[in-house]
Amino acid sequence: MSYSRTATYPSRRQQSWGRNQNTARFVSPVKLGPVMHTILVALMILILGLIYLTQASGSAAYDYQASELDQKINELATKKADLEVENARLSALENVKNSEVAKAMTQPSSTEYVR
Amino acid sequence: MQQSRTITRSQFLAIALSIVMGLIVVRLFWMQVIQHQHYVALASEEQVKKLVIPANRGMVYAMDGDTPVPVVMNQQVYTLFADPTVVTEPERVAQVATEVAGGNLLVDDIPKVLAEGKQQKSMYRVLAKNITLRQAELIKAKKLKGIGFQKVSKRVYPEGDLAAQTIGFVNNEGRGQYGVEQQLNDRLMGKDGLLKSVTDVANVPLSIGKDNIRKDAVDGENIVLTIDRNIQSKAQEALLAGLQRSGATHGSVLVMDPRSGKVLALADFPTYNPADFTKVTDERVFRNVATTEPYEPGSVLKTYTVATGLDKGVMTADTTFYNTDKIQVEDRTITNALKGVTGTISMQTALNNSLNTGMVTIAQKLGDGSRITRGARDTIYDYFHNRFGLGERTGIEIANEQKGLLISPEDVEGNAVRYSNMAFGQGLNVTMMQVAAGFSAIINGGTYYSPTVVEGVYKNGNLNKENNSKAKPAVISAEASAAAKEMVHQARAGYTKDDLPGYYVGGKTGTSQTLENGQYISTQTIGTYLGFGGDDSSAKYVIMVQVSGKNMNLEGNKHAMPIFTDISNWLLGYYQLQPRA
Repeated sequence: MSYSRTATYPSRRQQSWGRNQNTARFVSPVKLGPVMHTILVALMILILGLIYLTQASGSAAYDYQASELDQKINELATKKADLEVENARLSALENVKNSEVAKAMTQPSSTEYVR
Repeated sequence: MQQSRTITRSQFLAIALSIVMGLIVVRLFWMQVIQHQHYVALASEEQVKKLVIPANRGMVYAMDGDTPVPVVMNQQVYTLFADPTVVTEPERVAQVATEVAGGNLLVDDIPKVLAEGKQQKSMYRVLAKNITLRQAELIKAKKLKGIGFQKVSKRVYPEGDLAAQTIGFVNNEGRGQYGVEQQLNDRLMGKDGLLKSVTDVANVPLSIGKDNIRKDAVDGENIVLTIDRNIQSKAQEALLAGLQRSGATHGSVLVMDPRSGKVLALADFPTYNPADFTKVTDERVFRNVATTEPYEPGSVLKTYTVATGLDKGVMTADTTFYNTDKIQVEDRTITNALKGVTGTISMQTALNNSLNTGMVTIAQKLGDGSRITRGARDTIYDYFHNRFGLGERTGIEIANEQKGLLISPEDVEGNAVRYSNMAFGQGLNVTMMQVAAGFSAIINGGTYYSPTVVEGVYKNGNLNKENNSKAKPAVISAEASAAAKEMVHQARAGYTKDDLPGYYVGGKTGTSQTLENGQYISTQTIGTYLGFGGDDSSAKYVIMVQVSGKNMNLEGNKHAMPIFTDISNWLLGYYQLQPRA
């Protein structure tokens, strides 16, 4: 009596999955050649490059904003300093002494200080 | 038959290409590996900019009562320049510049200057200096071609010439000169920061570099002076008026708080505005006379001799001696300037009349009673030098302070004649600052305070006080101090009735001869007055006045004392001291 195999089963060693695992193997009918591989790698590099450039130029844009803000701060600080100088000039003793208010003041005949 | 080896064209091409490729590889290896650092440095030089972040120089404040007020500030100003090769509308440039920055223009005929510049192919012509940000903005708004601005920081002095010799100025290199600007230059200057960064063509720093450095600048400290601007202003005004009355050409006033050593005013004439320091032709005008020009103070130092005698217990105000208007010291005869107050008189009378014989008598009493012995000289030196600080720098924060000269008894020249002269203020060189500080100790109860002009540092709207004055207690006893103070009060009372009634004011005149080529000359004297004022509880101020002039005989009582009186009476009101009923 002879038996014939109706199906070929790979040995367990040849299987890359273990027992009791439900697995399905998909084998794509499309095969990529070396040219396609090269193109895909080049595309990936291109995309990565674009991403890098976008990020880099994005941070540069922030740098310009920061620089403009710095400039604005400097301008405002200069204006503030100018106003402080003007304030100091206006309240300088010589100006106070020569002001109309000071000129209109009179000398008291006698003074008493309250403690 | 010999078979010749031939190279096909494709083989030749392959070999040639291989050689070329090989050369390129070698070259690339040379550039990228061997000379890596060199090219990195070149790239860095091109792309990375080092920008200095300038530190702001600290401001200087004076006091107005208890409030600091700025006397030296910083202002960003602009220099307006033109590139004549680019300017297209010279007439319009002239019109705008004249309208907006008329007072700051450096050239009268702008179109002419621009035309000349264009002819000479010059690309830089300064049209105006020190224009403000607002003026610069107005000019920028006109969008003139070929016009540019350079930003510079400048010191401004809102109070003009107030305390000019105490403050000093900043030269064109940004370094302080004279006064506190020089002495405290390191504190005022701050430390510049650094920005090292990759920049674009417009020098805008970009954050893409990995070696970017930002070190912020540390601004200089804002120094607050002890100078009270009201007292300073009054001192300058009174000095000027006094000099006009006397005709003297030079004068100085020092006002000090004897209870702390704080200097309240330091006035000098002639004076200057630090904003215009380049216009000063005589360097002496920059000097703070009270700290940098030692002189023989004359009879004001009799207060020192009296204080020494009182503290050593060899005399009181009522101690008498027989005055003949002259006294012998070794081979020299010392005489009085004022003659006729002869006979048996008290030390108070001697001080009132500024008699040299009385002071020499005290010096003798410090010795064996009839001679100014080595012991007497040691005692006088100990009091004058070690206790009252004469002949030593006080350590005040004003540049170029001089120590003067006080000859020690150890020195051959420190003999009895020298010390007899020192007893009435001659034969020594001291500064007004030294004399006023020592005098403060004499009348304040006996504590010597080293003088200071720095009250503290102004930061974030707060005054952080510093204690720069060093106190040396009990240089004389409280009793001796009280007795000396009363004697000085009596000495003044005998001279003038101009003090406001109900206050306790004292002072001593000094008229000193001047030396020319080592010899005293009779055609020129310096008038000095040294005194204090306050209420019965304590002296609130010490004032020292000095007036001088070339070939002028100026006297302490006639020319210096009125200036003291003017300031003293004003100060009594300024301090709101209640007169005794």
